[in-house]
Amino acid sequence: MIKINGLKKIYGEATVLNIPELIIPKSQCFGLVGNNGAGKTTLFRIMLDLVRATEGVVMVDEEDVSKGEQWKTKVGAYLDENMLLSYLSPEEYFNALRKIYHLSDQDLNLHMEKFTDFFNGEILGSKKYIRDLSKGNIKKVGIAAAMLGNPEAVLLDEPFENLDPSSQIRLKKLILKEKADHQVTFLISSHDLNHVIEICDRIVLLEKGQMIKDLDEKNKMTEELNSYFNVG
Amino acid sequence: MVSNLIKLEILKRIRSTSFARSLAIGIFVFFIGIFLLGYLLLLGLVLNKLIREVLGKDDAVVFINSCLLYFFLLELIYRYFIQQLPVISLGSFLHLPLSKSKIIHFLLGSSFISPLNIISLLVFGPFALMEIKPIYGGLPAGIWLAAVILTSWSIHWFILWFKQRFEDSLIGTLAVFTTLLISLGANYFGFYDLGAFFEPVFTFALESPVPIFLLLTLLILSYFLCFAFYRQNAYLEELSEKEHLQFANKNLGFLSKFGLAGEMANLEWKLIIRHKKSRTYLMLCLVFLLYGLIFYNNPAFQSTSGFNHQFIFVGTFITGIFMLQYGQLFLSWNSPAFDFYVHQKNGLKALVRGKYLLFTGISFLCFILSIPYVYFGWNVLLIHLATFLFNIGITIHLVIYLALWKPKPMDLNKGSMFNYEGMGLSQFLMFIPLIAAPYAVFLPFAYLFGDYAGLLAMSITGAFGLLVFRKVSTSMAEKVIQNKYEISSAFRQEL
Repeated sequence: MIKINGLKKIYGEATVLNIPELIIPKSQCFGLVGNNGAGKTTLFRIMLDLVRATEGVVMVDEEDVSKGEQWKTKVGAYLDENMLLSYLSPEEYFNALRKIYHLSDQDLNLHMEKFTDFFNGEILGSKKYIRDLSKGNIKKVGIAAAMLGNPEAVLLDEPFENLDPSSQIRLKKLILKEKADHQVTFLISSHDLNHVIEICDRIVLLEKGQMIKDLDEKNKMTEELNSYFNVG
Repeated sequence: MVSNLIKLEILKRIRSTSFARSLAIGIFVFFIGIFLLGYLLLLGLVLNKLIREVLGKDDAVVFINSCLLYFFLLELIYRYFIQQLPVISLGSFLHLPLSKSKIIHFLLGSSFISPLNIISLLVFGPFALMEIKPIYGGLPAGIWLAAVILTSWSIHWFILWFKQRFEDSLIGTLAVFTTLLISLGANYFGFYDLGAFFEPVFTFALESPVPIFLLLTLLILSYFLCFAFYRQNAYLEELSEKEHLQFANKNLGFLSKFGLAGEMANLEWKLIIRHKKSRTYLMLCLVFLLYGLIFYNNPAFQSTSGFNHQFIFVGTFITGIFMLQYGQLFLSWNSPAFDFYVHQKNGLKALVRGKYLLFTGISFLCFILSIPYVYFGWNVLLIHLATFLFNIGITIHLVIYLALWKPKPMDLNKGSMFNYEGMGLSQFLMFIPLIAAPYAVFLPFAYLFGDYAGLLAMSITGAFGLLVFRKVSTSMAEKVIQNKYEISSAFRQEL
């Protein structure tokens, strides 16, 4: 699904990202962990062609993301509030996306139904602009928007941050269900090791832009990650 | 404690992201400010001569005293538009163990340091010195000047209170305008002369120091009116505005007919009516619709053959002020959500197209609304038609082309007057070609074949611009797409 080849991002002298090769197959749930400044968000931004890679390419289904635009219909993403139109109400925002993705009202309603529990009755029907929502609720809007339009891959940056515990559990269920039902590929960065270990088939550990661990055995993840992050 | 706050305030100014980047603009604005103040001082220096020789009044002092009221009314108006509310930094202090009163005193105090507060001194200082002192003596001159300045400063506090009390509401603006119109109108038609009615107040200041004490009391009262209001409302939610969906959720239905670009135009329309800064630009459109009234029926601008060439300028503004003003900050408007557009398939292209659509639409609306000007003669309608065509055919491309040069991020929720966020040097310089362009087409033809040939030339050029619209707009979109990494990183890092 997603292939990265010889990817480098250099700011001035500093190499902030250096990934020789990374292949993410379809319907994998891919976890990205690492300390602050490890390059997680930069990697996601490059994958979405929001930031120019200094070297190398990111391919989505054999299409170079910096060349074509076809992949954009296949990849949904929520990285930060820059990706939302915060002056709209959540409904207006979803509706705008619906038109951009050429979906019917029916499609949108079906999609929203999936999120009924997750939204907990606080998103739809509230007479507020997105910018006036709480951080957690803004995140919920972003996540629901990223999954709109039946994407084949979804990139989420810190999706569990700011969510209350029950919403975190609901989100995990949602992700697993989407993956099972529609073979959606998920790329998730997070600081919450328990959550990523629980839902991801594979976890990559970044340190200063380098992939220093690539784990795909569930039973070893906990041990390996704990030994890395446990600074004692 | 207070010195600490002052230090923090200075640091905030220096370290604000826009400061370093826009140092050049800062200096530019600073010099313009100095220039304007210099002009005011100059006005002050020649004020007595002006009144005597140009207006032919014998007693300059009496005349000035009867005019002061209008000066203060004018001051009310410009302060209303220009003066910034000092509540922005409130949030970062409220949670600290400082008494609220102290914070408010500090904020109000820091708002007082403003060039607006020396205007009255600059204009009337020299007058007091050169005109009043020789006739009435030094002390009365001082008292008179103090009375004028105290009034001006009272207005400062009054406006701070007034603006916060009627924040951004139409009622406030209307109240100010009606006050001015009524008083000017009444004077003009000779019902009563408000100015003469207030004249004794300042004449009294020439004879006795009592007005000083009265005005000082007024100053203190107005300060405490302001202080009490701010103190009572020193909560984040009350001094920062929150609006709810109740208004501003109208779609411009017809735009949906234009596909994705139309959808983007619709979103942009919502952006415009839901942010303070852009809303002001829209209001400005309406104000500029009246702009013609100053020119078209003014005998100074009538000419025997054809029409006054300045009318081209007026027409350009009436039909195109929105694209000139709003278009200057072309992409900056979308800086908080630029990633959104980048991430949508064909998003940037649709965004640029959508903006074209919106500019053309609003320009057209302004043209339609300006049709009643036909009352001043058919040539006015023709001028508007020609400038409208020129605006949507040529100026629109020029605006967008120039605006794509180094767009800067901005915070849409800040006020608009004298808010230079998002403005770069390019945005300032932009106006020159934009004003020059219509004349560059109009003047040669007007001189060679007459004014109406000039208009025809403008219309044809504009129509030609419309023909190549698709090609040019595509190349503009291409330009945005080419620079998208630079633009989006600039927008992200600065905010």
